[in-house]
Amino acid sequence: MIEAKGVSLRYPDGTVALKDINLHIKPGEMVYITGPSGSGKTSLLKLLLGIEFPTFGSLKVMDKSMVRSRKGRINKLRRRIGPVFQEFKLIEGRTALENVMIGMRFLGKSPRKIKEEAINALKRVGLEEKIYSKVENLSWGQQQRVAIARAVARKPALILADEPTGNLDYDNAINILKLLNSFKDSNTTVIITTHATHLIEGQKDVTYIHVNNGSITVEREELAV
Amino acid sequence: MKTFFYNIGYFMKEAWRTIRMNFLSNFFSIIGTGLILFLLGLVTVGTIIGNQFITKLSQEAEISAYFVEDMGVDAAKELVSEIQNIQGVWNAKLIDEMQACAMMEDMLGEEAKILELFEDNPFKAFIEIRIDLDAMETVLSQVASLEGIDYVRDNRAVLKQLQSIIRGVEVVGYLITLAVGITTLILLSHMIRQGIYNNREQINTLRLLGAPGSFIGFPYVLVGVLLTLLGGGLAIALLILLIDGGYPKISGTIPFLPLPSQTLLIQQSATLIVTVSVILGVLGSLFGLSSIGKDNR
Repeated sequence: MIEAKGVSLRYPDGTVALKDINLHIKPGEMVYITGPSGSGKTSLLKLLLGIEFPTFGSLKVMDKSMVRSRKGRINKLRRRIGPVFQEFKLIEGRTALENVMIGMRFLGKSPRKIKEEAINALKRVGLEEKIYSKVENLSWGQQQRVAIARAVARKPALILADEPTGNLDYDNAINILKLLNSFKDSNTTVIITTHATHLIEGQKDVTYIHVNNGSITVEREELAV
Repeated sequence: MKTFFYNIGYFMKEAWRTIRMNFLSNFFSIIGTGLILFLLGLVTVGTIIGNQFITKLSQEAEISAYFVEDMGVDAAKELVSEIQNIQGVWNAKLIDEMQACAMMEDMLGEEAKILELFEDNPFKAFIEIRIDLDAMETVLSQVASLEGIDYVRDNRAVLKQLQSIIRGVEVVGYLITLAVGITTLILLSHMIRQGIYNNREQINTLRLLGAPGSFIGFPYVLVGVLLTLLGGGLAIALLILLIDGGYPKISGTIPFLPLPSQTLLIQQSATLIVTVSVILGVLGSLFGLSSIGKDNR
């Protein structure tokens, strides 16, 4: 699914965000990327989504080399990823349903199928009552659920969630993590960044990637037999 | 392609939303484009009428051949049939002194009184020859070389002057078309850029979700085409008003000017305006869209 060998990322202003990252993530894994603010978590997600490219080393996402090349290749890869952005990136003035549907319109599905799957995704995140509400009229937590619905409705092979618990209280944060966890299956890998380590402690069958000052340590918690 | 057809409704909705978002600016750009295209329409109408005029004149190109004074009527008739056989001559006719005088009276109209000052008929008999304008040079030299021909008078100078006027109108037409094109492209690409700027968050999100450039850009191409088509519609409406009002006046004051049919004139100008509108709409949008997709973010 994801393979990084000696990956470093240096921004044009000289800031080194990631140093010599080696990583192997298998399909169907549940991965938490943890670390304090500014440690490089978001930079790692940006590499996986093709927003940034490694300065050194090689990175493969779903067997595709992430190199600064033709946009078409990155676009195709992104269609297999379900991103949940920290600031949601929902389109104001549109309903929850329209926001979910817009991410599916270029996947070659019929409008009827798109609507059906988008409604199902919204139902799955518990927003069946808010399908036709404008997103700006929804609460923070509801907007986040719309963003999650948009990501999962595409049936992606990889879900990338950047700080999904960022502004939520404890109960809502736990619920969102449980929800994201529920999308993990043998075909779908879920990667979540968070600095709130207390929310994810003690989980089994997960991989923790701790990022600190651009370097990582990987720790795998096997499922108890 | 399938995805394109599935999304036609979405593209149209997005285009309409983009227009509504900046309604006043778009409204004024439609007015501006309409007036610019109206200028193009005026030039087109002028060129069509001018070309029609030249064609008619060319078809009716005439030369007059004067024969030596002592030639009898029979010899003159023989000369007419000789001229008739020259290639490029459509028709040759002997005009005697009386007919020549009557023709001049017709031409002078009220001023024909001046002819009363002459005691004798001042006009000479001649041969009126209708010719193919393209063969004018050959016909002229062949007629002039015939035995008994004194001299030949032609209206080349008038025709050449008219042709150069029409050519001038055409050059002005090209310049106006160029100006119309450039102005519309600048206006339109600016509007599209503004639309893109207003929707930058949405475009960025779509890009991060993997939307292809064509999916992001097509609504803006639609906006461009829609704006220029509406401008074109305005130009056509103004042109129809002008032609409807002006045609009877022109044909009343200049009865000899052979005007093309009003419907044909409107049809031809409208077709040109619509075609130019679509082309400019697509090009203007594409120029505007060049600001999308400079990076991967």
